[in-house]
Amino acid sequence: MRSLPSYPARFPLLLVLVWAIFVLPSVVLASGTPDHDASANSHPSYAGGPPQLEKAKGESCIRETEWMRRNHMDFLKHRRAETVRQGVRIRSESLLKCAECHQSHEKFCDQCHGYVSASPDCFECHVYPK
Amino acid sequence: MTMDRRTVLGLGGVAAAGVALAPGLTLIAAPPPDKSEASGDQRWAMLIDVTKCESNCTACTRACRQENNVPLFGDPTRDIHWIRKLEIRDKDHRRPSVSLPVLCNHCENPPCAHVCPTEATFIRKDGIVLVDKHRCIGCRYCMLACPYKARSLVYHKTEFPEGGNPNVPIRAKGVVEKCTFCVHLVDDGKQPACVQACGHAGHKAMIFGDLNDPKSEIAMRIREVKTQTIREDLGLKPHVHYQGL
Repeated sequence: MRSLPSYPARFPLLLVLVWAIFVLPSVVLASGTPDHDASANSHPSYAGGPPQLEKAKGESCIRETEWMRRNHMDFLKHRRAETVRQGVRIRSESLLKCAECHQSHEKFCDQCHGYVSASPDCFECHVYPK
Repeated sequence: MTMDRRTVLGLGGVAAAGVALAPGLTLIAAPPPDKSEASGDQRWAMLIDVTKCESNCTACTRACRQENNVPLFGDPTRDIHWIRKLEIRDKDHRRPSVSLPVLCNHCENPPCAHVCPTEATFIRKDGIVLVDKHRCIGCRYCMLACPYKARSLVYHKTEFPEGGNPNVPIRAKGVVEKCTFCVHLVDDGKQPACVQACGHAGHKAMIFGDLNDPKSEIAMRIREVKTQTIREDLGLKPHVHYQGL
């Protein structure tokens, strides 16, 4: 039966492992990363900056515009659970009411979602009235 | 919101006039309030008078499909049924055959909700058993657990039908769905589509209402007439009652 190699024989292997784990990654990182920003800006549809959204029809949203921009997804999801499971229905703030002011899903919702590459699937099932 | 004394007194007078007119009867159907919530004070139930149900009438099933955007794939093994008509025949012809609609029984002890691994199926405070399709993973345990075959898996991708009802979303492929007692109508103070259709067809075999309200038509009928539920022996306490079965 062959015995295991003694410590001096294994030493070079350990040295290579330590080098591969600690030294190699730092060398690779320091050599520079590919420029992601340049490739994003070269996308044809967003070359002129962020998307321009269609103006809403009504005078004001049910919440501040700034707040809606940041929180509409949590707002909708929270309401979704409350409505389905506890039967809470706030008729003036239902999902169908959004379409009274933001009349085009394509020119409003889809613009930003496409820009930030978010793909919520709400409207696979829910109807966005036209 | 604050109300001054005069407003409160005025509202009290209006409420008293409404009561004086007749219990359960208002002159004009009030629009639903802006905010409402399912409450444990109510217990929704249905009573189906089998003696009034015509064997060749499908008004309830057609109204259900129309109201809830339920498609027909044309494949009997894959079709979605929220409500279906059954014909019960006595093998020895001693009793006449009866026709009856069967739908989700909205049990008080729903086995579908007990087996659901994601808690997608649940029972609302007012007794309506619902599927939260956002959570359903399509495992179909509930379909096996339900003794009424009230549930269907959505095997195919569905499209929003031409002239469909925007108040009811369609469904994603791979979720389980069933009768909701037309919860969107009930929350607005209306009757389920099948009950309305049965009334329009002139049969009035189905009534729907609140069992916890002793003055409601359904509560009175269940007190006065002999009614049955299907598979009472299972102890699920179903809330679709049948008369004349």
